[in-house]
Amino acid sequence: MAEREDMKVTDPLEGHTSKVMDQSLVDLRLHAVEMGGLVIDQVAGAVQALLNNDSTVAERVLSREPLVNDYDAKLDRDSITFLALQQPVANDLRVVRAIARVGLELERVGDESKKIARFAIRQEQQPLSPDPVQAVSRYLRHMADLSISMLRSAVRAVDEADPALARKVLAQDKELDAEFATALRQLMSFVMEDHRFLKSTIDTVFALKGLERIGDHAKNISQQVLYAVSGDEPRKAKSRPLPPAAADR
Amino acid sequence: MQSLAPTQAAVATRQVSPMQGDSDTLEPRNPSFSINMEDRRESRANAPKATARELNFWYGTNQALKNIDLTIPERQVTALIGPSGCGKSTFLRCFNRMHDLQPDTRYAGAIDLRPDDINLVGPEVDAIEVRMRIGMVFQKPNPFPKSVFENVAYGLRLRGLRSRSALAERVEKALRAAAIWDEVKDRLNDSALALSGGQMQRLCIARALATEPEILLFDEPTSALDPIATAKIEELISELRDSVTILIVTHNMQQAARVSDFTAFMYLGELVEVGATSRLFTNPAKKATEDYITGRYG
Amino acid sequence: MASAAEMSLQEIRRGLSRRKQLDKLFVLIGLLVLFACLGVLAILFFDLVRSGSSRFGWDFFTSFPSRKAERAGILSAWVGTSLIMLVTALVALPVGVAAAIYLEEYAPKNWFTGIIEINVTNLAGVPSIVYGLLALGLFVYRFNFGQSILSAGLTLALLILPIVIVATREAVRAVPKAIREAAYGLGATRWEVTKDHVLPYSTGGILTGLILGLSRAIGETAPIITIGALSFIAFLPPSPVSSEFPFLNFEWLTSEFTAMPIQMFNWISRPDQAFQANAAAAGAILLGMTLLMNAVAIWIRYRFRKKINW
Repeated sequence: MAEREDMKVTDPLEGHTSKVMDQSLVDLRLHAVEMGGLVIDQVAGAVQALLNNDSTVAERVLSREPLVNDYDAKLDRDSITFLALQQPVANDLRVVRAIARVGLELERVGDESKKIARFAIRQEQQPLSPDPVQAVSRYLRHMADLSISMLRSAVRAVDEADPALARKVLAQDKELDAEFATALRQLMSFVMEDHRFLKSTIDTVFALKGLERIGDHAKNISQQVLYAVSGDEPRKAKSRPLPPAAADR
Repeated sequence: MQSLAPTQAAVATRQVSPMQGDSDTLEPRNPSFSINMEDRRESRANAPKATARELNFWYGTNQALKNIDLTIPERQVTALIGPSGCGKSTFLRCFNRMHDLQPDTRYAGAIDLRPDDINLVGPEVDAIEVRMRIGMVFQKPNPFPKSVFENVAYGLRLRGLRSRSALAERVEKALRAAAIWDEVKDRLNDSALALSGGQMQRLCIARALATEPEILLFDEPTSALDPIATAKIEELISELRDSVTILIVTHNMQQAARVSDFTAFMYLGELVEVGATSRLFTNPAKKATEDYITGRYG
Repeated sequence: MASAAEMSLQEIRRGLSRRKQLDKLFVLIGLLVLFACLGVLAILFFDLVRSGSSRFGWDFFTSFPSRKAERAGILSAWVGTSLIMLVTALVALPVGVAAAIYLEEYAPKNWFTGIIEINVTNLAGVPSIVYGLLALGLFVYRFNFGQSILSAGLTLALLILPIVIVATREAVRAVPKAIREAAYGLGATRWEVTKDHVLPYSTGGILTGLILGLSRAIGETAPIITIGALSFIAFLPPSPVSSEFPFLNFEWLTSEFTAMPIQMFNWISRPDQAFQANAAAAGAILLGMTLLMNAVAIWIRYRFRKKINW
């Protein structure tokens, strides 16, 4: 962008003239990333608890759920305060907006983890045989791996403002959806062989769906990153490559 | 942290949750998460530096300030906002008795300065002494048509400091505190009028800082400056907060939002609302305040 | 059919050329008047120079007046004038500046001060011979300074006092309020503000006023005649510097004297035609001195304005 190059008033690497503004932006980003780490832990713990019938781990996940909500509340409050006090524009404004949305998405991931953890506790209290969870354990594990990987990449994309990483997450979502479809088919064949534990089976479907939704949230987070970086409306930010003009930035 | 560098946050990320590869993803870690819910700016509880008690002020028969009760906390930035003619500059100038230079002015009430509990507007208190303890920076930069060095040294000379080396040391300290030392250190004996507008204003800030005032008053310090110079002065005010109590009058609300810890809204000579800036600008208590800061006033 | 825009355009153009002509006419009139005045002054000056050209020379400056026109010179006259100007300046400057500072910075703005201010300006309109009478009664007789350089200097100082006061007040007013506020804000007393800021920054205006006053005083004849300037003296006032202790004396203040205008007046009134040339030469020199002083005043003002531009 030719005009901007003429204005060598402040070296962009030095940040804003206002150190307070810089600090606030860094803090916001840091909180979002911390929250992401916490939430990833929650997902991993919940699935672990489900696959290993480990209610201790599940309890820990449940006990940390309020902390996730606290993080979201703080992110929300801080971003509003930042908007009121610093009046950011252009990419600063988009970053703040994106981070507030990221908090929301992560909070929902936390909710999904909570549901899976609760299911794990129920399973552990009444072990079943055959267990629908074990029937699709391979898919559960695989979907968990995938969605956690997507979350990790999405949070790192937030941290590093990396659009390439964000787009990678968008691509992985398709793989997750395919895995979900396969898992459902597996479950259906299980049910047709043995339809005694219908409730558990339905809960297992919900668990699988929860993981698929977690992937969706990771996708949404990535779309927010693309919005913050490029200014494209989030809904339109599919996994297509950026047009040449914007790629110059 | 000087920049938006992702590296800083990324470092924290590595501590907080492992990002290495996709293996062992289901092993939950146990980093201890804790979260500081307090707002950075509000977490300081500071002693009051000055308290206005039922302060009234008249220009002749015209009452410009009506029963103002306001506490100025120590080592914080307090901003005064309000529409033209609301009395914010009048209130500011009571702190250093500048009104005494005008004929036919009258104070009632008190401004108690801590810790000695002197009443700044009391007739028993010498106005000259007040002005030596309270510094002021004016709207339009007004350096003396002397050299840069002599500008900053003037306040010190008034106090009887004569030794050239002592003066030089204090002048340098003040110029550094005003973030202008690097720009003028080779030009100390050049005329102050050769500086740009923003530099002149920072020189005026250095001049006021040289005498180590207990409170520093700013009367719309950036109205006459361009946006870059304004940003630099705002940043300077933020930095000065740790060493001196600051009271700033501004007609630019966004500036008050960016720079201050506490904001007081005045209207027609009265204090309408005062509170922490982050609260006042997100959720003001009085509708009048909200109307003014959203621009619905008028 | 003319549209609204075309109609208003017509209106604009209608009187335009006539208005511009009137504008040019005024410029022309102004220039004519200016050149007329300058022309008169130039003609006068050149006439003097021409008439007195025969007498210009070193001996004219260094000779005493004499009965013989070709030997008469202006030594005692210009020495007397210089000494009188010295006394005038030394008296008018502090008194005028102090009065102006008081009126501007210290005096409260009430009816009494208002009366003083009006009278200061009125003083400038008092006929100079009245100053002469005042001086005669007060300085020469009552204070017993005698018909001396001291009396002359004091009289002329009184004469130019309004000029100095007004010039000082203007210069002091030109110092912006912001500078005073800055100085007060640092804790300066009123005297410190005056001493450190107001006076130094108005020096240009003050000096200009003083020099303009002096250039007026240099040609004042009436007051110094009244107090008894002699018109034919073949001696100089005693030198202020001597070779014996205390090396400096003030006898010259009380000595009798003459001045340039007096000398000119004396020569003009003589029937001998030859003295006219002397008078013309002296007049040219006096005019030259006046113009020189004015030039110095302008130069001072220029130099100070460069240093201090608000």
